Amino acid sequence: MSDQPSALISPIPLENVPILQLRARLKTELSDGNRLGLLTAMSSPNGSQIISLLVQTLSGGVRVLISQLPHDAASYASLTPDIPQAHWFEREINDMWGIRPLGHPRLKSLVIHDTYPDNLFPLAQQVSPALMRKRNNRAAYRFSVVQGNGVYEVPVGPVHAGIIEPGHFRFSCLGEVIENLEIRLGYVHRGVEERLTNCDWKAMRHVVEAASSDTAAANAVAHAQAIESLAGVQAPPDIQRLRSACVEIERAACHIGDLGGICNDLGFGAGSAAFAVLRGTVLGIAEMITGSRFMTGVIVPLSHRNMPAKPLCTAAANRLHECRKQLQSTIPLLLQNSSAIERMEGMGVMKHSLAQDFGLVGPAGRASGIDYDVRKVFRLPEYDCMEWQTPNLYDGDVLARAKVRATEATTALDLASVMLASVTPVSAPESVVELPADSAGVGIVEAWRGELIHLILTNSDGVVARYKIKDPSFNNWTALAVAARGNLLSDFPLCNKSFGLSYSGTDL
Amino acid sequence: MLPALLNYLRGARQTRGPVLPDLMDVNRGLPTLTSSPCIHNEGCTTCADGCVSDAISLSTEDTAMVTLDLGKCLACGHCTHACPTGTIAASRITRTAVRQRSNLVLTAGVTSPPAATNMREMFRNSLVVRYVSTGDNATDMEVNACMNPLFDASRFGIQFTASPRFADALLIGGPVPLAMHEPLRATFEAMAHPRLVIAAGMQAVSGGLFTGGYTKADGVGKVLQPDIWIPGNPPHPWMIIHGLLLAMGHPLAFANQLDP
Repeated sequence: MSDQPSALISPIPLENVPILQLRARLKTELSDGNRLGLLTAMSSPNGSQIISLLVQTLSGGVRVLISQLPHDAASYASLTPDIPQAHWFEREINDMWGIRPLGHPRLKSLVIHDTYPDNLFPLAQQVSPALMRKRNNRAAYRFSVVQGNGVYEVPVGPVHAGIIEPGHFRFSCLGEVIENLEIRLGYVHRGVEERLTNCDWKAMRHVVEAASSDTAAANAVAHAQAIESLAGVQAPPDIQRLRSACVEIERAACHIGDLGGICNDLGFGAGSAAFAVLRGTVLGIAEMITGSRFMTGVIVPLSHRNMPAKPLCTAAANRLHECRKQLQSTIPLLLQNSSAIERMEGMGVMKHSLAQDFGLVGPAGRASGIDYDVRKVFRLPEYDCMEWQTPNLYDGDVLARAKVRATEATTALDLASVMLASVTPVSAPESVVELPADSAGVGIVEAWRGELIHLILTNSDGVVARYKIKDPSFNNWTALAVAARGNLLSDFPLCNKSFGLSYSGTDL
Repeated sequence: MLPALLNYLRGARQTRGPVLPDLMDVNRGLPTLTSSPCIHNEGCTTCADGCVSDAISLSTEDTAMVTLDLGKCLACGHCTHACPTGTIAASRITRTAVRQRSNLVLTAGVTSPPAATNMREMFRNSLVVRYVSTGDNATDMEVNACMNPLFDASRFGIQFTASPRFADALLIGGPVPLAMHEPLRATFEAMAHPRLVIAAGMQAVSGGLFTGGYTKADGVGKVLQPDIWIPGNPPHPWMIIHGLLLAMGHPLAFANQLDP
């Protein structure tokens, strides 16, 4: 159809890289300005494979490297010592496949808890009820211990005080100051990826929407892109425009909600209430064009279910414009408020160099000088509808993240409004897609938390053999743990809220 | 700052009334069964064919019959669009919480048996709620929204607490995967008697699309015994508030609802 956005070039280039050369290769790729989008594994008849996905941040492309492990090999040389971003990916590979990255500096479980039976590697084997009944002798998880006179530990969670997802935070404190924070997740590991390789492809879209249900629209778009790139087809431009508008509405709603959350954690109830009301308005607009406050069930590969009529799109565009005005007059409650600024400034600092090492994405990255935005790199045509910038700050503190998110919420409302105003309903039949054998499909979206990647790999029968979701939070959790250091324990909720990460998107 | 403050002060009253209204017409709502006869006996399986969460079952014993389990319903809108006879139609009521899991299962032409009367008059004027999230963060957001100025659940005497020790009711969202079984049980055990358990959303009610897997994410019912079940994916804040009001035995909860 029209000019192909670069993210969707199909087929996605696949390249075999010997496992022994992978570390050196990735190091070169990263120093050439490419990004490690994700690292995972999959089973093949000849043994396991390590899959690396590289994002070309300069030219806007995606490549997949496949490294075959020898038959029966259950380990390989860890990449983390040279490539810190690989840290959590390798822990996940160890959990889900039982493939051990040798020489990993801190190898512990990430998502599979002590409560699961021994030798359960959910993606490497068919999990039988007999295996699930086996006695569990898993070694208990060990937190890093900070030693020294007067150091004490504060365990928090998994059930947190507020209305928020579960996870465990182990603070080591000296006085009121956090010396170290170790974050243990996995409490909401629901087996999303296992489900995705064992379900009908029409059910997949609903499973991905539930992967991190506050990011339903972006996940549905990434899924649609991945299926389309795999099948070598494309949805009509109006449908792509509508999808991007949905992603922008989701971004606005979530950033506005979290700005309210920041107010709440500052003890500033009036600000919190004002943002909550605005978020409600944005969700009402989402409901108008999709029939659902979280925009579920409409974004599908090749098509769009219940495409809104032209007058409805125009009305929604106008309401978004109104909403933007209200947002503009609400943001100063937080960002021109000296008592709020005083709390946020200099707190939870993420340095640029570390942000680079950890491969931070999204608003948290952009608050620390990481100028990476999927929308800019992959230049989807609908984003050329107006002039817009991504904010880029260097302070890396709570204030910078709040500023970035406020700016992005405003831009998102603008973009969504302009995009919706130019959507003309089209009918695109949702035809059954034949998936090619031994191929890869990639969907990449700037979700509200940052770079979201869906990777689908098919086997020689054209059946989905591996479905990997990389939620943006996966890259950013380590940053939260590091940013908390040196701050007061009682300031942690505010720091946490400024990152606003997804537990379920990480645990999957 | 000053213009922002003035703007804020000029803002009209935001809190929504009347309470528990139907959803807006644009919302696709949840499906319901009407009195229009089903034509499954003529071979129609349109609704069940497109239902990815197995919420619909069909039978031809006796007369054609369709059974719809709201506790499994994703609210994707497939069946309400596809049903050729209008037997399944969209419903936008927000008074959807029930006391018996079986009352979420609708069968055409069959009235649910009367629910056991188990009114907890004790919490009539005040309900303190501890929320536990177990893997559905959209439900978390909607629970949060219950307390914002629009829905303002606190006007009914509902408040959320950080400590299970202070809580009358345990509200749970998400499918409760294995690693959350023990923390959830421990939270419940920490609560004083009398205490209520409320499952919020289809994932909490049935595990949704995650049920039957190795993570044992089969819903709250496999770990605790819910007193109130709230359907929806995620449940709208009004649906959550209805569930809480039902738990309180509040008079507002008792009109046009699924419970007989």
